[in-house]
Amino acid sequence: MIKRNDIILGVVALLVALAFYLFFSLTKSDGSKVEITVQGEVYETLELSQDQSFLITLENGEYNTVVIEDGYVRMSEADCPDKLCVKHNKIHYNHETIVCLPHKVVVEIVNGEANTVDLIAK
Amino acid sequence: MRKKIGTIALVVSLILSMTACAPSEKRYEASFLELFDTVTTVVGYAKDEETFTEYTQMIYDYMEEYHQLYDIYHDYEGINNIKTINDNAGILPVKVDQKIIDLLLESKEIEKITNHKMNVAYGAVLKVWHDYRTEGIESPEMAKLPPLEMLREMSEHTNMNEIVINEEESTVFLSDPEMSLDVGAIAKGYATEMTANYIEEQGFENGMISVGGNVRTIGHKVGEGGEALAWNVGIQNPEVESEMTTIHILELQDMSLVTSGVYERYYTVDGKQYHHIIDPSTLLPSEEYQSVSIVCQDSGRADAFSTAVFNMSLEEGKQLIESQKDTEAFWILNDGSFVYSSGFEQFIKE
Repeated sequence: MIKRNDIILGVVALLVALAFYLFFSLTKSDGSKVEITVQGEVYETLELSQDQSFLITLENGEYNTVVIEDGYVRMSEADCPDKLCVKHNKIHYNHETIVCLPHKVVVEIVNGEANTVDLIAK
Repeated sequence: MRKKIGTIALVVSLILSMTACAPSEKRYEASFLELFDTVTTVVGYAKDEETFTEYTQMIYDYMEEYHQLYDIYHDYEGINNIKTINDNAGILPVKVDQKIIDLLLESKEIEKITNHKMNVAYGAVLKVWHDYRTEGIESPEMAKLPPLEMLREMSEHTNMNEIVINEEESTVFLSDPEMSLDVGAIAKGYATEMTANYIEEQGFENGMISVGGNVRTIGHKVGEGGEALAWNVGIQNPEVESEMTTIHILELQDMSLVTSGVYERYYTVDGKQYHHIIDPSTLLPSEEYQSVSIVCQDSGRADAFSTAVFNMSLEEGKQLIESQKDTEAFWILNDGSFVYSSGFEQFIKE
């Protein structure tokens, strides 16, 4: 004996479950952010899922360019002397960083996909 | 029908609880750029962010003291550091903190073990390279190699025995006025080791400290169910622009991993790269390897050995490592091939 109201209730419950599911799965896979700090202060937070080129300009006019592409971040350009940041591997996993020491610029993945590696010796 | 709804509600609450469920201690990570001219990263567990921040602050404060004492480029008010010792070479003994005496005694010990391949008295030679490298990085078109003549002349002033340590008076005196100390091959690792021991005593049981890629693990990692797991520490691929960031992942607990590589710090002259690890016997950058990694408990030893072994032939390096208790090494040769010491592979994660 299934009543019409029971069906409606069932559908509503299913929708709620689906909404929860979508909410958690979306925030999990799409939550990766790219946090850029300059001298310890947050300069900008970008979405890892959104491809773009982003220019960081320091107070003295020096710059770094960050490129987000296919879920990875790299430093494409910088006018720092050593260019170690530009040579750095692209990053994707949670807590991975690219640091430009001369400019005190740190690009870090936050809320990202867990990495099997905890730290890298170099 | 009621039953069905119950099932759905249960599924929803399970998803909720799985997401909200957290172990009593959470994992945190912090980093700072102010010390040892590099990035320091601290990873660890604490019941809340405030507790973790307290630990990080303690680590920072403790390490900052070492940073100032072991600095060879800057003066700090009211502090006699390594630069003070260098500035007073041939002039007078300098009264210093015990932390400097301890570092120099350890350095003398390692210099002996490594057959002079890690020598903190090489400041005069390293300074020449440092100046040419800095200039070459700043204006690449003007980059030059230091004249061998100049390096040879400076190498006359690198005798460890001219470092006069008076433990009773807590003084250090460089009896050769042309001589200077450069503790770059050991200071970071040594300070990391001392800091790790200190913070462990303060109740920081499980974590990691990385000072510019000198990694010291403390205790273990905590799994999702609260189980003890080894820390996974990667070894940097010398091809830094490669898609593959790491060569191996090691499983470490209470151990240090330090890698010395040609990709860390270098400059380019006429299209050729010259890195910063200078072989005391040739006075030139050693050209045998892309990188050398050392695993042992003491981060100071790991740091110093990675430089020393980098400056040794493969045979000599293997001999040194096999003679040391609980110390392992991994070489990446110039042709890209791998060489392991006898017990290294036990650390490699499957």
